[in-house]
Amino acid sequence: VSNRLVAAVIFLVAAAYFYTARDYTATFGDVLGPSAFPKLIAVPTMILSGLIVAFPGGGVSWPEKHRMLRQVAALLVLLGYALLLKPLGFPLATGLLIALMAWLMGGPVGSSILLGALSAPALYILFDRVLGLPLDMLGTWFAAS
Amino acid sequence: MEILSLLGGGFAVALSPLNLTLLLFGCFIGTLIGAMPGLGPVNGVAILIPLTFALGLDPTSSLILLSAVYYGCMYGGRISSILLNIPGDEPAVMTTLDGYPMTLQGKASDALAISGFASFVGATLATVGLTLFAPLLARAAIYFGPADYFALYIMAFATIGGLSGVDPRKTLLSALIGLMIATVGLDPSTGIPRFTFGSFHLFDGVDAIVALVGLFAISEILLMLEKRIVEDKDGLRVAVRMPNLRLVFQTMWTTLRSSVIGW
Repeated sequence: VSNRLVAAVIFLVAAAYFYTARDYTATFGDVLGPSAFPKLIAVPTMILSGLIVAFPGGGVSWPEKHRMLRQVAALLVLLGYALLLKPLGFPLATGLLIALMAWLMGGPVGSSILLGALSAPALYILFDRVLGLPLDMLGTWFAAS
Repeated sequence: MEILSLLGGGFAVALSPLNLTLLLFGCFIGTLIGAMPGLGPVNGVAILIPLTFALGLDPTSSLILLSAVYYGCMYGGRISSILLNIPGDEPAVMTTLDGYPMTLQGKASDALAISGFASFVGATLATVGLTLFAPLLARAAIYFGPADYFALYIMAFATIGGLSGVDPRKTLLSALIGLMIATVGLDPSTGIPRFTFGSFHLFDGVDAIVALVGLFAISEILLMLEKRIVEDKDGLRVAVRMPNLRLVFQTMWTTLRSSVIGW
């Protein structure tokens, strides 16, 4: 069932991709135009995923429930990091990310927080000062006030 | 013979004490930079270009330093591939396939040694080959046009189909999804933005290294969360010991064969 479900999602994405690609037109240059190549990819993708929906082969072994909960939590933490990086600023957001991930991977609460608190400033110094990659010290939430 | 005398002159310059020191320093720094996921040879060289100005080196020494950094980064990239299954840069992606399983078996030092030895042989053969055959290659490369690239990619995809594990349909499907991700951004031949949904960040497309590191690293994190929490609490044992030299010699023929193919 899981195989079929994933294949169906891919089929829908490919169909939407094909539909979006139809409208790309250029009045100059290449004879084929910008929409030929995406269409060329979308059709076999739809055929292959359709085949898997029709004839799914092999099973999928799902992890145990509490492990899966941790995996979902890890994905949410990563997503939250991407969304909160600007509002919170690099050191705070990174510290939170590292502490939460360490805790999710089975570390004790105290040392996870310590790890986040120590390594986030270290990473900030490494990227911002040593490697010259400018990063926000304070996020938009704190800098505005 | 002219090539040989020029080479001799080059060796004389390269073996001076200052240049040798720079070489060692560059390799060390390069390995450190390369081992960080996401920072590859190109970034490493770019970061260290200001350093060569700051040190006030002459052009030859600067070039020696930068090429040492480049080679160091190339090697450093596979350290994280072998030990963590996270490729440090694009060329190291293939190393994860064989190197990480060896780490899981406790043979990390062997994997690192084989990889180092193989790189040395491959790079040396390629450099010698390039020195001797560069004029010939340059003549052929001029005629390598879009059609030839297309044929090359078709061959690559056919090979992917052959490499596949359980279900060739899934392998081809993932290759196609990769192509779909690659079409995001400005169309290279007409400049029409495709699949950007009005976001300027997507006009440049999705950087291959970002997609790769994301895929490999996140799936590795998820696998860690799935399996290893209870099974081995003390982590992977990476024994610090002399690598098994016999194993290095056993792989020598593979190394030589791959050097010729890769070159």
